[in-house]
Amino acid sequence: MKIIAALWNTLKRPPVHISLGVIIIVSFLAGIIFWGGFNTAMEVTNTEKFCVSCHEMENNVYQELQQTVHWSNRSGVRAICSDCHVPHNWTDKIARKMQASKEVWGAIFGTIDTPEKFEAKRLELAQHEWARFKANGSQECRNCHDYDSMDWSEMSDEARRFMEPAAERGQSCVDCHKGIAHQLPQQMGSVDPLLAGLVREATSVSLDEGETYYSAKSVDLYTDAERTEQAGVLQVATEVNVLETQGESVKLEIAAWRKEKGFGRVLYEDFGQNISSAVLDKDIAQDGAMIETHQSDVVDELTGLPWGQVSVTLWAEKGAYLGNREALWETAGQTYRDACSVCHTEPAPEHFDANTWPAMFSGMVGFTNMSAPTQELVLKYLQMHSSDFVDAAH
Amino acid sequence: MGEANDQGETRSSGKRREWLAFLFVTAVVVPLLTIAVVVGYGFVVWMLQIFVLGPPGHGG
Repeated sequence: MKIIAALWNTLKRPPVHISLGVIIIVSFLAGIIFWGGFNTAMEVTNTEKFCVSCHEMENNVYQELQQTVHWSNRSGVRAICSDCHVPHNWTDKIARKMQASKEVWGAIFGTIDTPEKFEAKRLELAQHEWARFKANGSQECRNCHDYDSMDWSEMSDEARRFMEPAAERGQSCVDCHKGIAHQLPQQMGSVDPLLAGLVREATSVSLDEGETYYSAKSVDLYTDAERTEQAGVLQVATEVNVLETQGESVKLEIAAWRKEKGFGRVLYEDFGQNISSAVLDKDIAQDGAMIETHQSDVVDELTGLPWGQVSVTLWAEKGAYLGNREALWETAGQTYRDACSVCHTEPAPEHFDANTWPAMFSGMVGFTNMSAPTQELVLKYLQMHSSDFVDAAH
Repeated sequence: MGEANDQGETRSSGKRREWLAFLFVTAVVVPLLTIAVVVGYGFVVWMLQIFVLGPPGHGG
């Protein structure tokens, strides 16, 4: 207290020993040094080196970024953490820096210090960022990617079809481009609860010999009942005939068409339509003893390719088949509408034919968070409900 | 109490005290206060964002 009182006594009177000029110059210099130091410190906390100095960032999100176009690309421009995650305007930037006190807390107490803990938190963390990007219209993306500077004529027709209306609405980039710099949360990718439910249901469906069933997921095919020699993979929602059951294995007959050009590895649902039912290993597909041919050299006029009608009999695991496809189609249709309507009005499945859908679908599916099994099912749903299968088609 | 003592002080100790006070305030007190104000401002904005404003908006 005495020191403070003495200090106050000195400060409240005009200086006797220091000239006003010295005070002005020293204060001015101190101000410059302080302001410079302050900004330098701010900039240091905005560097990538600073961000990845904690292993939570270094081991997770930083590694993921390195797989993306924001890390390396043909133009050699790249984004660092703060480009996207720290607001550029001063007030929001300071608020974000203070918010980082939570991250300091997390680093000290190890909130996400293992990959498991990080994965468990990923969805929540991602949602915070998505909410922020939603509110500011993805401002940090647009600091570089400006709608006004986009040259539509340089874009592919497909990109333009979506980007132009988005620009008119001033749509937030992350509405469609989630997961562009880091992996999507597991919950959104690999586990589709509806589909998982059907796969579970299939485990309790009893199989009668001579009956027809449909695969609820893709299953491995084998030449033997012990399932040691793999022969190929049966795709989801494919019709199979159950011939025989033995222990945990089931003998399936798959009736299909295939192209008689190349190795004929891919089996298709129907003549002339690229709706895949199964993919066989090369030596199995070439093995006359394994494949029974019913019709041969049926030429598809459109492509000039000869097709053959075949059936193949192979072993697979039990408990992966459903009595009909209705529930699978319903799930697929729901997923299709949900995923696509996030960005645009989804075309009706019968808007395209079965052979147009694969290219359409693969062009767009990258914008969704469908897992590989879900993608396979949804594509098949679209093909099987395309104009080739619907009477009231365009 | 300080004023009474001042009379008896030597010129050099007064000069020393003045310089100490001046440098202490310019180099320590004011920078700390400034940082505290900025930090406080940041916290207030952050709390406002959580409870009132929502996440920072577009041009808002």
